[in-house]
Amino acid sequence: MKGKIPVAVQFRAAALATYSFAVLALLLLPVGVVVLASFTRTSYLTIPPKGLTFRWYVEVLGSPSYVRSIVLSLGLALTATAVAILVAVPAAYALARFRVAAANLLVALFLAPLAFPGIVVGVALLQLYSMMNIQPSIGRLLVAHLIITTPFVIRAVLATLRESSVDLEDAARVLGASRWVAFRRVTLPLIRPAIVVGALFAFIASFDNFPVSVFILGARQITLPVKIFSSIEYGVDPSIAAVSTMVIVATGLILVAAERWTGLHRAF
Amino acid sequence: MKPLQASRRKTPAVGLLAPASLLYAGAFCVPVLLLLPASLQLYVPNQGIRPHAYSLENYYRLLSDAYYLEIFGRTLLLGLVVTAITILLAYPIALYLARTRARYRNWLVLLVIYPMMLNLVVRTFGFIALLANHGLVNDALIGIGIIDSPLKLMYNFRGLLIGLTQIYFPFAVLVLIPAIQSVPTEMEEASRTLGGGWFTTFCRVTLPLTANGIATAAALIFLLTESALVAPRLLGGPTYKVAATLIYDQFLVLLNWPLGSAATWILLFTALPIASFFGLAARQWSAR
Amino acid sequence: MEGTVEALALRKLRKSFSSSVAVDGMDLTLSRGEFVSLLGPSGCGKSTVLRMIAGLLQPDSGEVLIEGKNVTALAVHKRNIGFVFQSYALFPHLSVFENVAFGLRRRRLAEADVQSRVTNVLETVRLHGLGDRRPSQLSGGQQQRVALARAVVTQPSLLLLDEPLSNLDALLREEMRLELKRLQHQLGITTLFVTHDQAEALAMSDRIAVVNGGRLEQIGTPEEIYAEPATQFVARFIGRSNFLTGHIEGDSGCRAVVRCAKDVRVVIEKRSAHVLTPGSVVRIAIRQERVQLTRAFVADTDNCFPVTVALRAYGGSVQHYILRLQSGAEIGAEVRAAEPALRPGDVAYAGWTARDGRILSGEGWSREG
Repeated sequence: MKGKIPVAVQFRAAALATYSFAVLALLLLPVGVVVLASFTRTSYLTIPPKGLTFRWYVEVLGSPSYVRSIVLSLGLALTATAVAILVAVPAAYALARFRVAAANLLVALFLAPLAFPGIVVGVALLQLYSMMNIQPSIGRLLVAHLIITTPFVIRAVLATLRESSVDLEDAARVLGASRWVAFRRVTLPLIRPAIVVGALFAFIASFDNFPVSVFILGARQITLPVKIFSSIEYGVDPSIAAVSTMVIVATGLILVAAERWTGLHRAF
Repeated sequence: MKPLQASRRKTPAVGLLAPASLLYAGAFCVPVLLLLPASLQLYVPNQGIRPHAYSLENYYRLLSDAYYLEIFGRTLLLGLVVTAITILLAYPIALYLARTRARYRNWLVLLVIYPMMLNLVVRTFGFIALLANHGLVNDALIGIGIIDSPLKLMYNFRGLLIGLTQIYFPFAVLVLIPAIQSVPTEMEEASRTLGGGWFTTFCRVTLPLTANGIATAAALIFLLTESALVAPRLLGGPTYKVAATLIYDQFLVLLNWPLGSAATWILLFTALPIASFFGLAARQWSAR
Repeated sequence: MEGTVEALALRKLRKSFSSSVAVDGMDLTLSRGEFVSLLGPSGCGKSTVLRMIAGLLQPDSGEVLIEGKNVTALAVHKRNIGFVFQSYALFPHLSVFENVAFGLRRRRLAEADVQSRVTNVLETVRLHGLGDRRPSQLSGGQQQRVALARAVVTQPSLLLLDEPLSNLDALLREEMRLELKRLQHQLGITTLFVTHDQAEALAMSDRIAVVNGGRLEQIGTPEEIYAEPATQFVARFIGRSNFLTGHIEGDSGCRAVVRCAKDVRVVIEKRSAHVLTPGSVVRIAIRQERVQLTRAFVADTDNCFPVTVALRAYGGSVQHYILRLQSGAEIGAEVRAAEPALRPGDVAYAGWTARDGRILSGEGWSREG
């Protein structure tokens, strides 16, 4: 037995839905445009594409500089994320489970890079490195990326630890587990989802980063975003659309994987 | 009572916090603070930095020269306008996603998350393809016959506005959704039973109760827009500058690091207080 | 001189948090195999005591001795005690079997040993066959029994329970009470049980320690606590009592007369030889179920006063009456429901023997319990 929903309410609901769909479609318009443009036969960017070819993809994958930058960005992001986990998890545990002086201040500091303008971090580190005469290297790039990745992991793990009860660890300790064993066998399984989510955001943040990377890298290390950026400044052509599409597809796959593993939509 | 007990409880925490603390101290706090003395130095073109000469010259230049003031002013205006428009446009979407029970609701949320995860450079490149003189928008409008010559949608305020609004739109939506969800539908139902129509309910119940979420979104979007580097550089070009691209130029093109450092501090001192103001408003309004 | 070692001894245990004292110099001893309840209202410090015994909290001063050994400085995981949390604290990512086996695995027992002991204890708590389930798939009562099994399977010398039944509904709670008692008896483990529910404490304990504001108010068998409350707090907390204030009119050695109002002179049997000064103000307590209601005045009783019925509440097996004395003061009476009911406005007589009343210790009643 269905109740009659008043016409006004239906109209409003439909209007809202239509608006939402329209806006979401517009949101993805730039993405769609890039993907389309990557197939054009012409050597300039044109939408809709004229003709259909994979030649730009071949060119990108055959270009050593592009490949190097992809490899660098991937390796950097993976390493920065892995190290971030090693640094962040103990810190989050300490802040959530022990009484630490000025804990709130420390948390604010650890999460600050999330809100801080990236460009500030970039130029500040550039200054420091040059002052200390640290030459461009992957190492100094990695340290810069650690500031990018660590906050994401701390945020996710800290939130989960604060929500979960200390009782579980207490129970483990009473049953004969030392603090370390209790952590390994009880706490760690519990925070694993948080670590995964944090690591995911961290990885993406590092891979995509421009404002920090552009100042810190040297002539020999170019990350993918910086490479694409420079290519655009030299002149726009379909190969940029091709490499962009590769990023678009890869990001899409990560999104699907993230949704599968952690039910991403549940966070909202 | 053995004092050993107390110290044994504290040292694990110190040890656990050491790596993170050292990292942040060395790679975050110290460098950012070092920008201050760096900004007091002077750079002479082709000669380098004059040693041991500290002055407020850089700040004076940046805050008195009309050229720089225009840049800072433009950045501020951009920040405020983008924030306002983004939130205005995002709120209805957030409302829809927070309240709808459609089966595809979760896919729509993913659709909002997706652009946020996408590389900024790639997204901005998409905008170039759209907004350029021979981009999709102009070609389509000319093709349909609405206009005769291409609209200038790049290298100006308009272009940046369109680009930045779209780029930060998902952030606003994703901050607003939980804020709206935190208002129990029972409150809105109560308002209806008390005689309020949908508009009254919205203005007097939903909006005030989500005010803190709006303020949080505003703080975030404002900060992001003020610090934006990629979109302004690619959509605004090398001559239409904002604060971030100004800093970029000083550091990488003109090599005047002291001036760049001073500009960085000015950026921080304008962006952070305003963002904090929004944040404080958020906290005020959430104390109900 | 060698005596029997106490299973648990607390000596002058003290703990305070930033602004308040949670535990104020508590002394307590438990004999082997005893079931003792720590009974008190929320926030009285009883859970704090438990956590200090377990080692989860460090006392500011004082000592904890288990089987004669000073464990105050010993780490939590070395104390070999069983602890059942109010929230059960079952590990959500492990099966019921692995939950129970957790403590045994820390002790590196042989797998066959672990298997048999876990299976046995699961049978004992009547959870046979549920070993493969996850805690989230069990009912509240079942989860409670897993927590219990996990705590006792390691054969600890001491079992601590922190309000383990408070998350269960009333019916289940009563069932579990008896099961817990039976299990404890079977295993003979020294048990310290924290609760705020006096019925629980009375039903299960060999002895009850009543705690208030971090201090021990009284410790004794359930009968002693119920019949002879030492302080107003205990009298208030356990059972339903009437409290009247009055001053001493006379002291005849074994009996005292307390004048509470113009027509209310209460005769009380004294419990101590302490001579009471005439004129001094005292507080007396009379259990509501000891008040007899009659239609007519009964001579030859120690206390019998005219009352008007103010309110009646039906309690299934009893009737609760609120009665007004001529002085205006109100007392309560609990009468077996088999007797004919009185209605509000009816006039009757309330009486009790001298022995039914108690003078509360002076220190006890100056502090509101």
